[in-house]
Amino acid sequence: MSAHPHAREDKPPQSVQHGALSVRDLDKSFQIGGRPHKVLDGINLDVRPGEFVSIVGASGCGKSTLLRLIVGLDTDYSGELRLDGERIATTSLDRGIIFQDHRLFPWMTLEQNVELALLNTDTPKDRRAKIVADHIALVNLTGFEKAYPHQLSGGMAQRAAIARALVTEPRLLLLDEPLGALDALTRVHVQNELQRIWMAQRSTMVMVTHDVEEALYLGDRVIVMSPNPGRIRRIVDVDLPHPRDRRSPLLHRLKDEILAELTSGADADAADNLVHLPSREPR
Amino acid sequence: MTSRAADLLPPVRPRRAFQLSGLPVGALLAPLLLLGLWQLLCLSGVFPPQVLVPPSGVARTLEEMALSGELQRHLGDSMRRLLLGFAIGAAAGMAFGVTIALSRLAEAALSPLFLTLWQVPVIAFVPMMVMFLGIDEPFKLAVVAIAAFFPMALATFDGIRGVPKSWFEVAKVYRLSLFQLIRRILLPATVPAVLTGLRVSLTRAWVVLVAAELLAADSGLGQMMEMGRQLFQIDVVLAGVIVTGLVGFLLDRGARWVESHATRWRAA
Ligand SMILES: Nc1ncnc2c1ncn2[C@@H]1O[C@H](COP(=O)(O)OP(=O)(O)O)[C@@H](O)[C@H]1O
Ligand SMILES: [Mg+2]
Repeated sequence: MSAHPHAREDKPPQSVQHGALSVRDLDKSFQIGGRPHKVLDGINLDVRPGEFVSIVGASGCGKSTLLRLIVGLDTDYSGELRLDGERIATTSLDRGIIFQDHRLFPWMTLEQNVELALLNTDTPKDRRAKIVADHIALVNLTGFEKAYPHQLSGGMAQRAAIARALVTEPRLLLLDEPLGALDALTRVHVQNELQRIWMAQRSTMVMVTHDVEEALYLGDRVIVMSPNPGRIRRIVDVDLPHPRDRRSPLLHRLKDEILAELTSGADADAADNLVHLPSREPR
Repeated sequence: MTSRAADLLPPVRPRRAFQLSGLPVGALLAPLLLLGLWQLLCLSGVFPPQVLVPPSGVARTLEEMALSGELQRHLGDSMRRLLLGFAIGAAAGMAFGVTIALSRLAEAALSPLFLTLWQVPVIAFVPMMVMFLGIDEPFKLAVVAIAAFFPMALATFDGIRGVPKSWFEVAKVYRLSLFQLIRRILLPATVPAVLTGLRVSLTRAWVVLVAAELLAADSGLGQMMEMGRQLFQIDVVLAGVIVTGLVGFLLDRGARWVESHATRWRAA
């Protein structure tokens, strides 16, 4: 479980070798009411080093479960998960994750929260402060080093969480609806920052989102999942260079396609599930 | 895509019901009113002055006892018992709380007994304890320790069990060792609950100590009051009541002050 943060500094960002994720025949079940309930079924996926992959899909289709398996928080699955050929058995400083809730520790300042991530890396102690400051600058929070989480806005706290996740320079960064709790404006802002950060760092990133536009804006590919059990329904290539223009016609066309795909099944279900409330019946 | 109102609001300082420094004038209103009523009742002559001593008389008694050093002696004895017994009881309660919070086995084995005993008023243990320990210092320390033990154990247990699972996950993602997890996450996360437990058990212990001294003791505020009652010196009894209340009030305030200053990082 060795991490080599900051070992890549001397290499140009283009020459990404680390961070190839491979998912083979992944099945995952939970016991619900004593019976197994299949949540992920036959997931196969290869993520290239330095690639940004977005995952969209109905709520409950197993997106968070998939990320928790990849990061190593849950190890009860069948199939194979490998990062750079190495089988994933538990968590590792090579794999970072950002959750929808920032999960900063309220009694630590922003700086202390970020530094916590370096605790068990082999980063020399005398360089840690500098590295922490650099990552706080990377997410544009310079000046807030001594702020406690409750003193940060939602957007700032989420950016702090991004800094904490990046400070170990993980080969693979997983993002589980990282911007889901932000308002529309803050969201666009942090999306831009995320794109800038990814272009600068070129870690492999896999981001779950419920916002198709966001998925397309950031992703080199968008994985569309379907529920019950969670399967990969379609993989959409977004063949546009970064940084991207939100107004690009390709993005809009793909958005319509993916939305149609996501809602086609749901509409049929919705018609079946329509419940007539007697009291609301037209008189 | 929702915008949370909390994001738009400026950070709020922890709310405190009362300020220790700069007590609002309003806080003095009720005590002054009570003193006025008390004095009026005495002047009305409904009760003989030996039974209902006026506030002025109690004040004089307090002054005399303070000048003779008697008050300090009783108060000092009580405080010494309180602090020693509290230290023992709170430490044991904390250790017990940690044990049943971290071990499901210990919880299953010990918590029913604990919760049953918790329902028994500490004073109910006094007759039995007097038989085993007599009425000397060990008895009083034991009463205080028991009084402090239960709220402390419960607060510690709740504090640890209340640590969100998501924080353990963050610790796992960053590969914290068990020692790092305890020192950096569990300890600070439970500080607020533990401090509240310390405050509750400290004030609880004080009340129980004075009650125990009333029942059996050779010194202390409780014994001072009991002696006053036996000698029909109601002014001494009332002086004891006032000092007991004041000490309890100050203990609570002091503990609250420590609490709010140790957990400044907490949002309102
Ligand atoms: N710890 C768990 N125990 C049992 N069922 C779970 C657990 N976690 C998730 N599930 C179930 O797995 C399914 C997928 O959940 P999740 O991965 O959170 O979906 P998504 O993130 O796509 O909304 C849901 O039906 C959920 O109820
Ligand atoms: Mg989810």
